[in-house]
Parts: sequence; structure tokens; C-alpha cells
Amino acid sequence: MCLTQKIGKMEEILIVENISVGNEELEILRDISFDVKKNEIISIVGESGCGKSMTLRTIIRLLPKNLKILNGDIIFEGMKLKDLKEKEMNRIRGKKIGMIFQEPSSYLNPLFTIGNQIEEAIEGNIKKREKKEMVIKILKEMGLPITTYYQYPHQLSGGMQQRAMIAIALINGPSLLLADEPTTALDVTTAFSIINLLKNLVTNHNLSILFVTHDISLANHISDRIIVMYGGTIVEIGKSKEIYENPLHPYTKKLIECLPQRYKKGERIKTIEGEVPFFKNLPAGCPFSQRCDYKMKICEEQKPGKIFFENRIVKCFKYGNIVES
Amino acid sequence: MKGILNKLRKKNLIAFISFWIILFLYFLAITADFIAPYPFNKQFRNYPLCPPTKVHFFDKNKKFHLRPFVYEYKLINPALNQYEILTEKICPIYFFVKGERRKILGLFYSDRYLFGTKEGKIFLFGTDMHGRDIFSRIVYGARISLSIGILGVLTSFFLGFLIGGISGYFGGKIDNIIMRIVEIFMVFPSFYLMLSLRAAFPINLSSFQVYLLIVVILSFIGWAGLARIIRGMVLSIKEEEYVLAAKALGLSTFKIIFKHIIPNTFSYSITAITLSIPGYILGESTLSLLGLGIQEPYPSWGNMLSVCIGNLRILSTAPWMLISGFFIFLTIISFNFLGDGLRDVLDPKNW
Repeated sequence: MCLTQKIGKMEEILIVENISVGNEELEILRDISFDVKKNEIISIVGESGCGKSMTLRTIIRLLPKNLKILNGDIIFEGMKLKDLKEKEMNRIRGKKIGMIFQEPSSYLNPLFTIGNQIEEAIEGNIKKREKKEMVIKILKEMGLPITTYYQYPHQLSGGMQQRAMIAIALINGPSLLLADEPTTALDVTTAFSIINLLKNLVTNHNLSILFVTHDISLANHISDRIIVMYGGTIVEIGKSKEIYENPLHPYTKKLIECLPQRYKKGERIKTIEGEVPFFKNLPAGCPFSQRCDYKMKICEEQKPGKIFFENRIVKCFKYGNIVES
Repeated sequence: MKGILNKLRKKNLIAFISFWIILFLYFLAITADFIAPYPFNKQFRNYPLCPPTKVHFFDKNKKFHLRPFVYEYKLINPALNQYEILTEKICPIYFFVKGERRKILGLFYSDRYLFGTKEGKIFLFGTDMHGRDIFSRIVYGARISLSIGILGVLTSFFLGFLIGGISGYFGGKIDNIIMRIVEIFMVFPSFYLMLSLRAAFPINLSSFQVYLLIVVILSFIGWAGLARIIRGMVLSIKEEEYVLAAKALGLSTFKIIFKHIIPNTFSYSITAITLSIPGYILGESTLSLLGLGIQEPYPSWGNMLSVCIGNLRILSTAPWMLISGFFIFLTIISFNFLGDGLRDVLDPKNW
């Protein structure tokens, strides 16, 4: 992957610093820190309920009403998103940061045509005719026929709907695209074409993508770096290739072990025993301690802190005795 | 629109027919000036409580006439309103016949009407005790009765959407306050609320003022229930994913409510509109029936019925006076069938 080598030279457009999200009773995201560099695709991987989607919704500040950002900072192109007023935030949503979702059929309003919905997203006072030209241009770029302009969401296939969603997200030329499992609801071939589309967009549109998925092999395929999340916190960050070939954290190891393509026909596929703990009863120590094969005594008592190890960040006592501050 | 009508015809024929009946009634109301053979306040002193004129094709010698004709009626017993049919003279019915000059739709004058006779009189539905043509009064009365339904529904739907939409979208305290106010409106029996509201205003208003007052009273009563339903729908629709997507696009709250949420209640509310129009027509009829609504000589279907109340003689000797009740019935049942049909057709699950 050629993009991987460039990372060092690229500047950061999004910096997330020690974010925690929750309310008085529970904390669902804890100590999230990472950055997204220009023209980079970065994936967040983890099981359901690990807080991946919540991280995205924290960045664009669309958290459910009962949750708020407790501390930390989100810096996007030099602006502190956490301190912005709702009105100022609306000038960033859809304009500087686009977002696409898991199930395109339910994220498109069933009552309006695709053309209408893309036009609605266009910012500023632009004449109707020019708007239409813009929409048709972006539809072409997304590989959709022009007739889509006049069609309703239910008349399109899932892949076409997702392309239309991407068109809506990109119409204002954002510099960051948040993709919340955009290929999960699609079949493999359609998913593949969408992934290729996204990869091309990075170079054509000067875009960075924060890509959430539960499929670590897909993450390896698409992204430059991978963030592995578990139980509301980041357990490992590193370059995709390194993580995929040499996972450090026991959870990452298990995720990769579960991939079906690693098994021969007739072999039994391994799974991770147990379930992701609910946020209310997270263990006192490492969140993964209940399911971990390398569990030590300290794992149950203390939360592991960030350890820089082999060019990566990993939160595990296996690699050093650093306790979370 | 065409697609909806086609589906309506295939799925629910009665609703389809009802649609055309309603359209026809509104057409009558709009073109009343042209269709009614006489002005609504024209009194024929020689024809009190005249029975409906029969239209004939064969005269008494069994001779066929291509042009339909009527016989003249002559009052023989003014005390009992008995009429004799003069079969000697044939009065043919002409289309586009000349009559008194009348203003059509308030725009231009014309002295030609859809149908009429040159000699004799034609009372398709008979006359009332003042000798006024009931058919003409029905057609003119349709203007008031049918437009009150539409105006009342539009006003209360506007209020309902605005208040219910805000209440549902913002939730919390605002929702709580608005819903308690709505409940105050809902606990009063609407009939008594309507009467007392009408009683709060002077009785001797001009008929146009009364007309507006009735619209206001009816929508004042009607908006509360509607706001509650819209609020419930908004509460569920605002959790839909496309609303989250609209928020992620940075659209304003106003745009989200009125472009993404309210239109998604339309499949319900179009049905609700058609189903609640009869309530408004009935409300107007009730007020007029009790003498609190549209005043004579202006006709409305309600006040045309009010003459019959407590007058058994009329019921037995001149049952045609009740025809306006039939029109109220026809309109209401048509709206109900149409509403039912639309509910089936507009349900997105059937797409």
C-alpha cells in the first residue's frame, strides 16, 4: 500500500484527545485519543457494543440526549469542536465533515427523490440550475446513472443507495468523511465496489476517511491505520499491515483468529468466548480481562495505560506495567 | 395523483366513487350561480311548499317528446298546500335558458343558466314554505357547508402541525406544557364548548362574520386532538435514521421538522383530513340547526333542516324539505369512504 509510506509527512486534520463520553452514572467511552491525517483512511475495528459508532457520533456531536462529552478535546482543522455552539457546529456538519451510515435505505428520506435530497445538502445560495448540474456531476462520479436524480430511494438497490448517501456526504467537498459501517448491509461484491469508490475519493477529493467496521480484514484492505476498540476504549493503534500480521493486544489477536479465511474446509472456526461487557458492569481492571487467555492478577485490578511498543500504541499489561492515569 | 386514483379504483371502488361524488358536489358549489335555476332568496308567493316538479318525456296522450317537459302546478288549497297539476299545457325544459341577470362567481354578469323553463316553474326538489326553490338553495348552501369543512380542517391542521410538531420534536418541558394545554381543550365535551363559544359572541352578526366565526370555533375545538396525534407521530419519526442523517448534514431544526418529519406524517394526515371534514360540516349544520349558525335568508344545509325541527306537519306533508339532510349524509359518507380508501392506498407498506 503506497499511502502507508506517506503518513509521516502528512499533517493531522483531526485530533481526538483523551475523550470520555457518558453521564453521571456511566462512562461509555473512556480515554479515546487518536488522530487522522490528511488523505488517510483510518479504520476503527471492534465487536458490536465497543463504542465505535459512538466515537463517530462524538466527533460530529450527535450524541443521544442523555450522554455528553465529559472531558477531552476534539480538534478539527484547528477548531475545538467541543466548545462550538450548535449553530457553528451546523456549519461544520455536512460541509466540512460528511457522514455515511450503515443502512442506506433507512438513512434516506423515503418521500423525496435522490436529486432533491442531494440538492438540499448543498450549502449557500446557489441557483437551482447550478445545483442540478452539481448533483448530476457528483452522481456521475459516484457511478450512478443520471436518471437516479429523479428516482426515489426505494427504487434503488442497496449499493446505489449507498452511493447516493456518499454523494450527499461529499457534495460540499468535506475534508473528513465519517463512515459508519457503510458496507455492512451490502453483499460482498457491492461492498467491494463501494470500498474501491471510497479509496478513489481519498485521492480525488483530498479527503480523509474515518471508517468504522467490525471486519478486521476489510479494515486491513482499505485503511492505512487501524484502531482496535474494546469496551469503550482503544486497545491498540497501529499501521494496518503491522496489526494484521502481528497483532499485539490479545483482543486483536482473537479478532484475527476468528477470520473465516484463515481456516481450511471442515475446520472449526474459533470464536471469542463470552460477550462484550455492558457498560454498566465493566470489570474494574482491563475491560478484556474476562475473556483474555493471558490474564494476570493485575489485569483484574487495574486498568492498563498506553504503552508505546514497536511503533504502536497498545493497552495491555503484557507489554509493560503502565497503569491508566 | 393519477397513480393514487388508479390504485383507489382497483383497491376500493366505493372510495373511488366517493371521490367523484365529492368532486361533483364541490363542482356544484363552485358553479352554483350558473346551475341554480333561481336565486336562493327568490320567493314565489304562489308556490309555498310546492312538491318536486316531475320531469316528463311522455304527455298525457302517451306521445313521446324528445325535449323533457314539466307541467305547471297550481295552488288549489292554500291552507293545506294542495296543488293541481295542469296537464293541458306542456312547459319544455331548455338548456342555457334566459333568466334574471345574476353575477357569476362574483366576476361577471350573465342571464343564462344551465337549465330552466320559459313558461311555468321548475322546482326539482320542491319549494319551502316561502316558495323558494329548494334545489337552488341546496346548490348555494353547498358553498357554505362544503367550504366550512375545508377551511376548518386547514386551519386546525395548520395549528395541529405547528404545535404538535414543536411539542414532539423538542420534547421535555415544552412538550409537557403544550400537552397539558391540549388536554384542557380535550376534556370539554366539544358540543358544549362549541355552543358556549358561539354564545360568547353577539347573535346579530352579519352572515360573513358568522361564517368566519364558525370556522374559528370549529378549528379552535379541532386542533387539540390533532396536535396530540401529530406529536405522537413526530416523537417516533424523529428517531428515524434519516432524521439523524439530516442532522449530520447540519440542516436547521426548522428544516428538519418541516421537510423531513412533517411530510412523513402525510400518509396519515391526508387520511385524517378527509375523515375529519365531516365533523366540521356536521358542526356547522348543528350550529345552523340550532339557529346559531348561518342566518336566513342565506342557505346552508344545516339551517335548511332547522325549519323542519319540531314541525310535524312539514314532515308529513312536505318531506322534500329534508333533502338537505340527504346531502349532508351523502357528503359525510363519501368523505368517510374516501378517507378509508386513501388510508389503504397511501400506506407506505403497500408500495
